[in-house]
Amino acid sequence: MGASVDDAELVDRFPWVQVTHDNKHLFRGWLDRKLLIDRCDDCGRFHHPPKPICPECWSSRITPTEVSGRGTIHLAMALHQGAPAPGVDYAKGPHPVVAVDLEEQPGVRFSSTVVGCDPSEVEIGLPVELDWVERYGSPFPVFRLREGAKRGGKG
Amino acid sequence: MARRNPIRDRVAIVGLGSTEFSRDAGGRSPAALACEASIAAIRDSGIAREEIDGVVGALEPGAPRPSQLAAMLGLSSVTHHSSPMPVAMFGLIDAMTAIFAGQCDTVLLYYAFTRAPWNSRSAAQDPFRRYLAMNTGTAKPPMPESMDPSAAYTTWASRYLHEYGASREDLGLVALNMRANAARNPKAAMRKPLTMEGYLQARMIRDPLCMLDMDIPVDGADAFVLTTVEKAKAITKHPVVIHAATAGMVGPNEEDQLPSLARHGQHVVAEALRERSELWLEDVDVFFPYDGFSIITLGWIENLGYCKPGGAGRFMREHWDEKRGAVMIDGRVPMNPHGGSLSEGASRGTGHLREAVTQLRGEAGERQVADAKTALIGCGGFFFNSQGAILRRL
Repeated sequence: MGASVDDAELVDRFPWVQVTHDNKHLFRGWLDRKLLIDRCDDCGRFHHPPKPICPECWSSRITPTEVSGRGTIHLAMALHQGAPAPGVDYAKGPHPVVAVDLEEQPGVRFSSTVVGCDPSEVEIGLPVELDWVERYGSPFPVFRLREGAKRGGKG
Repeated sequence: MARRNPIRDRVAIVGLGSTEFSRDAGGRSPAALACEASIAAIRDSGIAREEIDGVVGALEPGAPRPSQLAAMLGLSSVTHHSSPMPVAMFGLIDAMTAIFAGQCDTVLLYYAFTRAPWNSRSAAQDPFRRYLAMNTGTAKPPMPESMDPSAAYTTWASRYLHEYGASREDLGLVALNMRANAARNPKAAMRKPLTMEGYLQARMIRDPLCMLDMDIPVDGADAFVLTTVEKAKAITKHPVVIHAATAGMVGPNEEDQLPSLARHGQHVVAEALRERSELWLEDVDVFFPYDGFSIITLGWIENLGYCKPGGAGRFMREHWDEKRGAVMIDGRVPMNPHGGSLSEGASRGTGHLREAVTQLRGEAGERQVADAKTALIGCGGFFFNSQGAILRRL
C-alpha cells in the first residue's frame, strides 16, 4: 500500500510530521505496518531518525530496512497531561511514552507509547515488541510488553 | 592539555538591565519589555547610544528581531547584528566573538520572554498571544509521544533514577534550593517558601517530574552591554570579563538517541571550559547550574566535577545550609542565589548570567557573596544547547 501512495497523499496522511525525501520511507512503511529503520549498505550500521547519509561512514547508500520491533525499554515516562490524540485520555490515567533500544542494534532507539498494560507496569529494562494502532486514519507503531515481562509475571 | 583561548579576559560585560519577571506583565508586549531592559542596560553602562554598533537578540518566540529593536531604540550605525538560538550563552558567545574579531565594538545583547498559549493557561486566553500558536507551523499539535526536548528531559530523569538508584527527593532538593534563594530576589516570580513535603505533593506532569521540577513561564526581559576590555577599563576599574565560554554537543544528539548520561553536551562543555580556563572549581565563588528542569542541575553538579556521577543528591545534602535552606558548597559557594529558572522565572539562563555579573560587581544586596571574584555558569541541557562560561572580576 505504502508504495502506491504518491508523495502528496503521503504528506496528507501524516500532517503532524514534516515528511521529507529523507524520511518518506519510514512513513510509507507505517502504511504497510512495517517499521523501516535506515541502514547503511556499506558499513551495515543502523541509524535513526532518518538521515541522508550514514553518520558512521558518510555513505549515501542507505536502505530503509524492516526491523523486528523487538527491544528493551531504555527511557520511560508517564504523561499526566500532554498533547491530545485519538485514543489518549489523560483523565483515565497517565499515558506512557518510551524509547526502545532496538535488538538489531542497541543504542538505536524508536520512541512511542506502550499499549495493553497498566501504565505502572512500564519500566526501564523491560522487553517489548511492536504492535500497531490507528491514529488519524493511518497505522501508528506502538509497543507492547513481551510475554513474561510484566511485573509479577517475571521468571 | 590547555587549549588556546585568545579571547580570555578580552571582552567585558559593562551594562545590565532587567525587567522584573512576572507571571503576567499585563498589557506589555515583549517588545516593550525588551526596550525597557535594553535602555536600562545602556544607561547602566554609561556608554552613549551612538556607540552601540552591535545588536544580538535571541530567537525567542515573540521577541523583537534585532532590526526591530534597533529601529525602536534609534541606533544610528550598526555593523553587527544576529539572532542566535535561545539559551543565554549562544548570544553571549556571538556578542563576545564579534567584538573580539572587530566586527563591532559595543554590543547590546537582549532576551525577551513571553508566556505562550502552550505553556500558560492565562496566556492561552490572551488574544494578543494567539499569533504565537500560529507561528509553530504545524497543522496539528505534536503527538503525545513526541520526544521534544522538554519531554525528553523527563525520560532521562527516569533513566537517572534507574541507573543510580536516586530518589525524587534528590530532584526536590534542587527545587528547594532555588525557592529559598528566590526569597531574597525581588525580581523573582516565585517566592513562597517550599518544603520537601510540598514538593512531593505537587502536581505530577510527566512522571517522574512534577510541576516544581519545571521552570516557571514568565514575561520579562534581560539585556546586557558588552565591549572591549580596554573600553571597559576606561569606565570602571574592575570590569567583569568573560574568562572562557563555550558550547558543547555530541552526535548523536537527538533527544532519544543520546548515547548515555555519561557522555553528552555537558561533558564537552566541562572539558572545553577546563582546558581554556586558568580558574576552576576551587576558584569559583558563585555557581550557576541551569535549572530549566531539575534533572539538568543534577547533571551540571556532577559533570562539572563537584561530585561523581549519581552523587548530586548526596552532594547537596552534604553541603546543605540548614539555616539558609539551600546549598552552600563548603559553607561558602551558593548555587543560583537569584533563585534560578525554577523560581525566578524561565529565562533560559539569562537570569543566571545577570546574577553572575551582579555578584561579581558586588551589587547583589542581601544575596551578595562576600568578595565574589569568579562565577561559573553551566547553561542549557544535555542535547544540543549545553553551554558554559567562567566570568571574573579583574
